[in-house]
Amino acid sequence: MTDQTSENFGRREFLSRAGKAGISIAAAGTVSYLLYDNKGPKTGIDTEELVTLPDFSIPYQQGQTISIVKGPDRVETLKKAIELLGGIERFVKPGEIVAIKPNVAFASPPMLGATANPELIAEVVKLCYSRGGAKKVVVTDNPINEPASCFTLSGIGKAASAAGAKVVFPKNHLFKHTTLAGGRLIKNWPIFFGPFEKVDKLIGIAPVKDHHRSGASMTMKNWYGLLGGRRNIFHQDINTIIAELAMMVKPTLVILDGTEVMMTNGPTGGSVSDLRRANTLIASTDCVAADSYGCGLLDLTVPDLPYLAKAEKAGAGTTNYESLKPIFATVG
Amino acid sequence: MKIVQVRRISQVFFFLMFVWFCIVSTVGDRLWQLRGWPVNWFLQLDPLVAIGTILTTHTLYRAILWALATVILTIIFGRFFCSWVCPFGSVHHFVGFWGNRKKSMPQKVQLNKYRKAQCIKYFVLIFFLVMSAFPSLAATLQTGLLDPIPLITRSFNLVLLPIVDRPVGLASVSERFYVGAWLTLAIFLTAVFLNLAIPRFYCRFICPLGALFAILGRFALWRIGKNQSECIDCKLCEQSCEGGCEPAGSIRISECVLCFNCREDCKEDIISYQRRASLAGEETSPDVSRRGFVLSLVSGILAVPAVRLSNKLGSNWVHKVIRPPGALSEEEFLKRCIKCGQCMRVCPTNVIQPGGIDGGLENLWTPTLNNRIGSSGCQYNCTACGQVCPTSAIRPITLAEKQGHGEFAEAGPIKIGTAFLDRNRCLPWAMDKPCIVCQENCPVSPKAIYTQEVFNTIRADALTVKKATNTTIETVEDNLPLDKFATGDYYCVAEDGERRKIAANTENSIETSPDERFEKIPAQGSKIEIQVRLQRPLIDIEKCIGCGVCEHECPVSGKKAVRVSAEGETRSDDRRLLLKS
Amino acid sequence: MGSVRRRSKRLESAISICLLVILMVIGVGVFLRQFDYDISRFGIDTAVAPQLEIPFDLGSLAPAGFETLSAGQTYTTENLYEKIDGKAPLYTESGFEKLFTRRFVSKDDESLLMELYVFDMDAAKNAFSVYSVQRRAEAKDLPAFAFAYRTSNAIYLAHGKYYIELVGFSESDELLKAMAEIAKRIRSELAVGDDIEIAELSLFPSENSVPGGIKLYLSNAFGFEGLTDTFTARYKIDGETITAFLSKRVNSNDAQLTAESYYNFLIDNGGVAKPTANKTIKAKAVDFYGTTEIIFVVGPFVSGIHEAENQQAAEKLAEKLISKLGEAAKAVKDD
Repeated sequence: MTDQTSENFGRREFLSRAGKAGISIAAAGTVSYLLYDNKGPKTGIDTEELVTLPDFSIPYQQGQTISIVKGPDRVETLKKAIELLGGIERFVKPGEIVAIKPNVAFASPPMLGATANPELIAEVVKLCYSRGGAKKVVVTDNPINEPASCFTLSGIGKAASAAGAKVVFPKNHLFKHTTLAGGRLIKNWPIFFGPFEKVDKLIGIAPVKDHHRSGASMTMKNWYGLLGGRRNIFHQDINTIIAELAMMVKPTLVILDGTEVMMTNGPTGGSVSDLRRANTLIASTDCVAADSYGCGLLDLTVPDLPYLAKAEKAGAGTTNYESLKPIFATVG
Repeated sequence: MKIVQVRRISQVFFFLMFVWFCIVSTVGDRLWQLRGWPVNWFLQLDPLVAIGTILTTHTLYRAILWALATVILTIIFGRFFCSWVCPFGSVHHFVGFWGNRKKSMPQKVQLNKYRKAQCIKYFVLIFFLVMSAFPSLAATLQTGLLDPIPLITRSFNLVLLPIVDRPVGLASVSERFYVGAWLTLAIFLTAVFLNLAIPRFYCRFICPLGALFAILGRFALWRIGKNQSECIDCKLCEQSCEGGCEPAGSIRISECVLCFNCREDCKEDIISYQRRASLAGEETSPDVSRRGFVLSLVSGILAVPAVRLSNKLGSNWVHKVIRPPGALSEEEFLKRCIKCGQCMRVCPTNVIQPGGIDGGLENLWTPTLNNRIGSSGCQYNCTACGQVCPTSAIRPITLAEKQGHGEFAEAGPIKIGTAFLDRNRCLPWAMDKPCIVCQENCPVSPKAIYTQEVFNTIRADALTVKKATNTTIETVEDNLPLDKFATGDYYCVAEDGERRKIAANTENSIETSPDERFEKIPAQGSKIEIQVRLQRPLIDIEKCIGCGVCEHECPVSGKKAVRVSAEGETRSDDRRLLLKS
Repeated sequence: MGSVRRRSKRLESAISICLLVILMVIGVGVFLRQFDYDISRFGIDTAVAPQLEIPFDLGSLAPAGFETLSAGQTYTTENLYEKIDGKAPLYTESGFEKLFTRRFVSKDDESLLMELYVFDMDAAKNAFSVYSVQRRAEAKDLPAFAFAYRTSNAIYLAHGKYYIELVGFSESDELLKAMAEIAKRIRSELAVGDDIEIAELSLFPSENSVPGGIKLYLSNAFGFEGLTDTFTARYKIDGETITAFLSKRVNSNDAQLTAESYYNFLIDNGGVAKPTANKTIKAKAVDFYGTTEIIFVVGPFVSGIHEAENQQAAEKLAEKLISKLGEAAKAVKDD
């Protein structure tokens, strides 16, 4: 009787064990089948999912592509310049999210002009909110020096926050790889993508600066801040990379600040004696045109900056800004 | 025939097969060379290799599918691998048996009792698997450090075989060297000698593979157990128990390695290999404390980020770590390399060496090229390492891909680094001595090393002409080194400023080549200078593939005058030196 | 029968035998597995080098006591330099198509190693050219072959469109014997087309000629661009070496033009015209830095004597050459 019970118990126990073993084998087999890889890794290089930067540009309006305003007060000239192009309402619609990409490359005070001017940033942020009705404004850059100190010392962090913008610092997870169609250098390269992924509009703001390697740093060179990885490798072919950046980034608006121009020792400067007042501010939807005008402020011509012609050839804009019938004005 | 006899035969059979695979791992088509011998078979049968790579890469690479067979057999029969197949287990088994054979029966029972510390191996397993899986952004495969199959493969291939084969020369043409092999040997011998203290010490306390088998064998359909609940409690069954699993009492199934010794030793035939659970009761689950589990889990989770704090995968990467051609990008590589040493064993030039911790903790025993060791650098026409790599940490590339021919012409050759010339050490650059050994040996075509011709006046006072003909000059000085200038590299420059090659010289005369006569015989008392023709090497960074043949050949034998470092390796976009053109 | 179930010894033996059989199956499986391999995976480039395009397997040429070592390799113009580096242009400029190589090693002594190179030169003329211009100084002719010689460690031969080298890795009689065996088999087994006759070779007078002294320059003979497909033959007359040359042009007009331009080339480079003493030959003679050059045309042939120290001997040889060429020219006309 007891033997019988124990026999039965033993049989039940065995069957339950056999069931579990069967499930284990099935699980092991399934996992092996699903994960089986007969080919092995393809190349040695990580293949990450590629992203493409959205197109932020707005429809073309004849005669309202570029405005050039003279005046000593950059806030006033800015207002005028934007107004001449149709007002901020043309660029920012209510409820939209706007990203502003100023040049915050260095941990350098505003008076040295190595970075975009904080007052200018604050004014653009204010315009986006007050007249454009933006839901949110983001100010971001991937500087060369340590980001926090760049935003602090340049005054841009404080000015932007005070005006109600969100300042975004570069973090690893915000970088994604991209490949530029028709590009030669931007291939499977990490870009600072996160802050721009879900925004509607993009405004670039850059000062006019001498640049030792490329000749001049203006609105096109400003997009260098979107590159991640070991980007200084591109200094081996600076003109091509700037042209490719102009192909890759399609901004809503760019603002080129030539109120004070860094004439020498660029792009870092370091002394106010490097600066010269040119009292000019350019707003444009075409950064090639803006830079083509801006190079004159550095006593340069379009052929002095080969990247301009390269970008024009690639269809990123025109170097013949005259053809766009720039709107000139003077304030104050 | 008794089952324990078959077990012994099986152990010897697999052990000899393993040793044979170690011996034949030399590229060649003789019977005792690589041919088609499945030299990775033991590694492929190892489920820890399979699970580790599945966790890190989410794929099961090709032949590692063999591990599924081991897994299924273990689920059905229990930990058979440990006592029937594992070559490391067989070593322990034999040494433990032999070292303790003269002990008395009670002493043996004492040696083979169960110990609480046997749970350590589960913590080892958890620790390594957590490192492979957690957190997913920084997985690293470190199972190979203690996984018995890679461990014994490494120990045989990199230490025992080179020592034993030295006088024979069967397993390799030239003498083999492996950096830091002493550490591998020390670990191997420690593991082996510990058997004298406790038999199968490694298997019982440390082996993460054994721990994995214990978990897999939990539901084994057949298991060792008693076929009746009462016995005379003679303890004979525990005197040669290999697993330390208490067959006399309530048997610990997770510790049982299926040696069948208890069944053999039981005079009453009470112990059998049966379907039903032991009638004296059994413990199926490993005896793992919650505290130990949490500890190993937490340390596993923290270990990888802690190691990665040195940023050896980022900007602080180690340029001295040059990986074999076909190696994946460093992060992917570390997810696959099991440190088995097969690539180092098969490398015909012995240039692939076990890495040390100077390249980061994770670099230990991973393949690293050392151009100062071996018979030459990485051979231009060789792809052996990737062909034997069991996990494709080094991809099995073709020669066309390595050299950038055919369909790979656009991608270009695989670069494993870049040669940098140290002009402060290079003979023609720093010492004005002719030498272009590096250029001659560069295997790339066109050569990545080219030369620049320079004539430099040698360090000596100008000579004064005593007497001259149109091919010879007798000098006032009579202490010229005999025939030193007759090498074809030296020229004399007389007052006409023309350079003429010196064909011979004595202590006080110089003779020029007959076809380079002086049209105007140098005047008595005029000065002549001696110049040396130098071909100074320069490196074409676009052509250099980093093979290291130049570094190996460089006659500046201490700190070489041309050295390869990993910058520019094609496996990593971040380490590029040049823009693609 | 107690509650203790006695074990069946027979069942245990049966299981044991089954397990042993499994081990045997594994052993046999492993042994069979090792036959399945492709050595080229380890570095011999089959992707670039197309497989054998030669009438038979070179591996089958292994002489008695020797076996092949590693797989054969094939090279094309693209990668010939990998095998012979600096010498590649010599071949590629002479019609080179492919190179097939194979190594053989003695079964008893691993140090007895040789490599067979079979250059497919596309035409017999090309093969003869690379064969003749590379002829080693210490060459000893192999009389059994049309064009073959040996050195202390190698055998070289031209066979139809193939130029063949058999190079031993050491100097050994055993190797030379084995190489001779391979050479014989190549001669009898490696099929070559009909077009293997090189007519010009029989046009040189045989008296006083140096055996094996005929060379063929496909271009740039004597540094002069216009002299293509030019044969030269060496003669030893009264202890002095004289070189005769001839080149067949498309017609006698072309031959005349070539002869004139070569004559001008000599004059431009410092030669001085001088008369020929022998009235029977219509030839031009040039004193070229103390040596005599003689140039003449017979039918479609441009021919002459190159760098002779002794003008008289040169003219004598020229006379013989002219009469031989005359016969050949007549034969050409008669055709």
